[in-house]
Amino acid sequence: MTLSANNRYPVLMATLRRADPAPPESDRTPAPWEANVQATCECLSWRGTLDNLERRQAEDALGETTYADFPVHTRAAVVTAHSLLARGEISEHELETKMNEVRARFRQA
Amino acid sequence: MSPTHDHDHAPIEAANEISEFDVLETAIRELAIEKGLFSPEDHRRFMEWAERIGPHGGSRLIARAWLDPEFKQRLLADGTETSKEIGIDWLDPTGTGTPSDFTYFYVLENTPDVHNVIVCTLCSCYPRPVLGQAPEWYKTPHYRRRVVRWPREVLAEFGLHLPLDVEVRVHDSNQKSRFMVMPMRPEGTEGWTEDQLAAIVTRDTMIGVALPRADWTAARSPAATPR
Repeated sequence: MTLSANNRYPVLMATLRRADPAPPESDRTPAPWEANVQATCECLSWRGTLDNLERRQAEDALGETTYADFPVHTRAAVVTAHSLLARGEISEHELETKMNEVRARFRQA
Repeated sequence: MSPTHDHDHAPIEAANEISEFDVLETAIRELAIEKGLFSPEDHRRFMEWAERIGPHGGSRLIARAWLDPEFKQRLLADGTETSKEIGIDWLDPTGTGTPSDFTYFYVLENTPDVHNVIVCTLCSCYPRPVLGQAPEWYKTPHYRRRVVRWPREVLAEFGLHLPLDVEVRVHDSNQKSRFMVMPMRPEGTEGWTEDQLAAIVTRDTMIGVALPRADWTAARSPAATPR
């Protein structure tokens, strides 16, 4: 695990550095990926990997500290990833590799 | 432009729609599926269900309760079981299993003396099988934190000004318990059918931030209303 001194996963912080500036929370329409994140969270809870309540508590805790730089609507995705990393369900290498693969796939379109 | 696609909208620029959070979401989902944490079918079914549901089930429950006193008593006594009478099974809302956060459903009756309103101070727990997806404002920290401290003030921000002699009760949802408000049937609806009544029971009236009115339905466009 390569957590930095402030407990941030570099692979997730890179997401923020690459992201475009977001409009204010009050002036935006949810993107399709946000509904996908919610369904992923429900499936993870439903199948017993990451309980919804624990995930929401982590969102509140990490969203106001470690990932406070992230827009509110992105925190479910970031904290779900953080929780899966912290529990060892996925590794940073796996996530980084998969993100590179997905990014390349999407850019082909 | 192809011969079969000749309407005149601007071309959709797919590349501009892809964000790093699109990438992160897809990566998490695909890794979870590859590791067997859930199946693609689990995810697809949940998406399909979540996009289909709306407040229609809740509107139907309230309209029927207004017309049928025995149904109303059953609904107030056991919302989870009585929902099955209109085809909503809280223990199996997707038809594929039992999501861990749906268990007890309580319907809260408004009276001339008591007004109920729901919130989830912890996160955004919401009675989705009967009301659909939560509105964005319901998930915001300022609603969640303030409605439990200053409910009259928050309701006033929605345009709902309650007399001081009406007690306001705020019900905090959680992972296992979901609430829905049963508003009072408004005057001017005597002799209405269940469908007519269901049309005026809008989402916000069942959250408790609005009251149903005989002259307003969720299907009407505010812009069509004369000033």
